[in-house]
Amino acid sequence: MSHTVLVCDDAIFMRTMINDILAQAGFEVVGEAETGTQAVEKYRQLKPDLVTMDIVMPEMGGIDAVREIVKHDPDAKILMCSAMGQQALVVEAIQAGAKDFVVKPFQPSRVLEAVQRVLG
Amino acid sequence: MDLSQYAELFLAESREHLSACNQLLLEWERRPSSPEPVSGIFRAVHTVKGMAATMGYGRVADLAHRMENLLDHLRRSGKPPAGDVLQLLFRATDTLEKAVGLAVTGRERDLDVSALAAELDRAVPKQPTTPSSAAPASLPAAALAAAAPGAGRLVHVTIRPEAPLKGGRAMLVIRKAQSLGTVLRIQPPPQAFESEEFDGGLAFELDTNVAPADIEAALRTVGDVERVSVGGGGGGGGGDEALAPAESVAAGGRSRHIRVDLRRLDTLMDLIGELVTARGRLNEVAARWVGQDPTIDDIAIQVSRLSVELQSEIIQARMTPVWQVFDRFPRLVRDVARQLDKQVVFRVEGKEIELDRAILDELGDPLVHLLRNAVDHGIEPPAERKRHKKNPEGQIVLAAVRERNTVAISIADDGRGIDRVKILHKAKREGVVGPHVEVLSDDQLLRVLARPGFSTADAVTAVSGRGVGIDVVMTRLRALGGSIEIRTEPGKGTAFVLRLPVTLAIVRALIAAVGQERYALPLTYVAETVEFGTTAITTMEGRDAIVLRDRVVPLVDLRKLLGTNGGAQAPPPRRPIIVLEMGERRSGIVVDGMLSQQEIVVKGFDAPRGTLPVFSGATIMGDGVPALILDAAGLV
Repeated sequence: MSHTVLVCDDAIFMRTMINDILAQAGFEVVGEAETGTQAVEKYRQLKPDLVTMDIVMPEMGGIDAVREIVKHDPDAKILMCSAMGQQALVVEAIQAGAKDFVVKPFQPSRVLEAVQRVLG
Repeated sequence: MDLSQYAELFLAESREHLSACNQLLLEWERRPSSPEPVSGIFRAVHTVKGMAATMGYGRVADLAHRMENLLDHLRRSGKPPAGDVLQLLFRATDTLEKAVGLAVTGRERDLDVSALAAELDRAVPKQPTTPSSAAPASLPAAALAAAAPGAGRLVHVTIRPEAPLKGGRAMLVIRKAQSLGTVLRIQPPPQAFESEEFDGGLAFELDTNVAPADIEAALRTVGDVERVSVGGGGGGGGGDEALAPAESVAAGGRSRHIRVDLRRLDTLMDLIGELVTARGRLNEVAARWVGQDPTIDDIAIQVSRLSVELQSEIIQARMTPVWQVFDRFPRLVRDVARQLDKQVVFRVEGKEIELDRAILDELGDPLVHLLRNAVDHGIEPPAERKRHKKNPEGQIVLAAVRERNTVAISIADDGRGIDRVKILHKAKREGVVGPHVEVLSDDQLLRVLARPGFSTADAVTAVSGRGVGIDVVMTRLRALGGSIEIRTEPGKGTAFVLRLPVTLAIVRALIAAVGQERYALPLTYVAETVEFGTTAITTMEGRDAIVLRDRVVPLVDLRKLLGTNGGAQAPPPRRPIIVLEMGERRSGIVVDGMLSQQEIVVKGFDAPRGTLPVFSGATIMGDGVPALILDAAGLV
């Protein structure tokens, strides 16, 4: 069975692209979230195998969302989507419980490598 | 990976974010001590940066990055921004928008942003390059310090030099090591990972039973690890990795939205249009055959019902809230007001009202025109307003309201109003109205203003020499099947009301006949019908007219206007009059007969030169014969 993914990013553009990259590799994107709050909610609802999480989002940022999700599910497999210049934030996200990160601009191969690492 | 397929999405979404940027900058300008706007602006610019980098638009990403740096600094400082910094951000947002547009068309290099980039960089105060002092909260630093030295193996790890965000990778190495045992004496201290200067080399002691080869293998799974060396000896056993079970997920939580190319919707609309035409033909055939087999009637009725539902669904799918166009206006009004040293409070109402996308797209320019006019010609300078005991801050309200089949959009200012007397003189001089006219009605005033090239600059204000351009606005509105109205009161202000059909594609129309020919009149503007001969005919300014409930309605005989008898020599004795109404204006169209009311599919119509300006399009009737659609605005 294919792995299920929750894609969290406030930009439709980014969600579409991640969606396409993952779908082409045989993953099943089961939900999308535009804010940290939505991400936490949908994670509880959908229990996806993997979450891709943008760091900068309105309402609740990605790092706080990671904390919330990990609080309820310490095994949550969360892949941070970061950008150059976000070193400190990425470190913080990993300390909060994120399992790996990719850096924009996304190269499909690197995204898939990271996904494989996270899924073990 | 083919990125071109994402270009449109990139453009649309970047524009949305930049529009949000503008809104937030305005808000920040109004409330400089509020912390929310800067966070929102930062997020918007950050998002554009990420998207642009992904698309490979280096210049856009670079400009966004520099803006982001400045915004990040402002966000952290928590201080209100200086005026010139705000102006810089406004300009940078404009340039970014331009850069986005150019990038998508492959002309990213046409824009030189180096000066702006330098300016943005200068606005960020230099900071010492020491790593951030913020201590990571959740790292068990206390545990590290308390542990006995030399308890474990010494591990050296080097992150690949080309890896991005090496500090994040190093942190993942530490996390992985922690899953194998106890990690001590991390060098450099983990705070250093947060710095962009971190070079990718780290070392730590790992107290574990795991064999060196397994440690190395485990740490390499982190990714971007170039080299791992594990010193010391002893220990055995292997780490185990748990695999996550793939659980099935209920379909209930899936996203309910998909994105559809607008051209798809257009095509769908065209097809539905043809379906509606075919339905009309089916109905006609069914009416003839119903004697032989009554079930044909049932089928025809069912097809009718289904196509009506299909139609309304597809029209619904084309509907777009007006904020998609309105959202850029606060910035526009602000800029024009600044330029002219006016003080203006701008309000938008009814943002959520929906219009057909095709209409909304055409509406931007006319609204820009009218808003510019409102600031330029409507609102008085603060000193003048004070003299007249008005609030020095003028008000402009842009409002959208749904009225049955139409949407009314009004632009109202509380400025000086239009001076009818001055306009009247000018109108008489130019022969727009007769010399005996003493007061211009709103309607006449509009006609004067709408004369091509008519400028109020010398008649009403001396602010600028630009023409009002109402003629441009009117032409555009008529092409959309809409109308415009004006209300103005000296000293109190001016309001323009634009009325537009909710959708362009399919309209209900009255089918009228001239001889054997058929013409369609959109019902939106049909007020009523009366029979010729039941009311007295008078003349008004040399034209036939009827008096309808104390109002004179001028008549237009379609036979005379079109110069056709439609293949029938003499008109029938009792001819119907269709009264059209557009705002305050009315007109009675005399036709030979009224055939039916039906939905027609409006097709664009390239009129040959010299065609009377009274047709807005054409349609195909149920029997496959084309008919022309009369333009109400051209007849009243």
